Amino acid sequence: MLAQQYASIKRDLDEKGIVFSFSGYLSEGILYSLGEALREKMALEAADGPTIRRVFSVFVEQMQNIIRYSAEKMSGTAGRAVELSAGMVTIGMERGKVFIVCGNTVRNSEVPRLKERLDHLKSLDRDGIKTYYREQLREEPDDGSRGATLGLIEIARRASDPIDYDFDAMDAERSFFCLKVRV
Amino acid sequence: MDSLTIPATGRTPGVSFDFVGGHLRMTGESYPDDVAGFFGPVFEALRGFLGRPDGGPVHFDMELLYFNSSSAKALMNIFQMLETVARSGRPVTVTWCVEENDDSMRELGEDFAEDLRHVVFRMREMPAGGAP
Repeated sequence: MLAQQYASIKRDLDEKGIVFSFSGYLSEGILYSLGEALREKMALEAADGPTIRRVFSVFVEQMQNIIRYSAEKMSGTAGRAVELSAGMVTIGMERGKVFIVCGNTVRNSEVPRLKERLDHLKSLDRDGIKTYYREQLREEPDDGSRGATLGLIEIARRASDPIDYDFDAMDAERSFFCLKVRV
Repeated sequence: MDSLTIPATGRTPGVSFDFVGGHLRMTGESYPDDVAGFFGPVFEALRGFLGRPDGGPVHFDMELLYFNSSSAKALMNIFQMLETVARSGRPVTVTWCVEENDDSMRELGEDFAEDLRHVVFRMREMPAGGAP
């Protein structure tokens, strides 16, 4: 029964082409370790440096978005200040392309602004994204974003297809936010 | 302060700033878990160096293989400091090193160079094979 249950979760991940998956409390330490494993796997598959760095870059920005903006956080001191952010990250292969899907809880009040940013990015072509990056690189960070705009532009820039996003309302307060990026 | 040397770690860059020779260099990768914590002392040392009167020429070698978006902001800050002293007459050269075939890093170099008017900006190609 136990093995059957977990085999079914694994089969579901395998069928979606998912090679790495993590769900739970994320930290910068997990970002680092998972990122190393991702790069090592790609290097073993003989991917070249620039391709590995493109995938890695999307991975880092996606993970840091969860770490900074997840609405589900735990913090306190455990010898030193610790902040953990709940979310999930999956990395897989689909039709010869790497994809990274990240998901985390967001407050409903933040949804309109996030949607607006993502829709704006989706509406831009390569040159538009480049111009937007150049502008934001020189902007002071807007209140509360801690540099999120540039991170999202970086993600869109490294993506080979337009980014995909979705929200699933959880309750009156929160929604589950998903962002899928193919590289 | 004659120099600032910070050895590279897995996620923070190697910094070797030789303030006597005017040679500044950053290597490795940059995606610190605490960007402000890492770059704060770097900015401070640089500001001190660039603020000295009668300063000689400055060479900055940007050899990072990868940097995240928060580090990009920090790098832009450094570029703006360099442009400011170059505008007031100090010769400043930036060499943006790119591994061959790394179009993303080459394009980033163009993004950073866009509004440099007084800094001399050069792109230098390096053979591939550094850390991926």
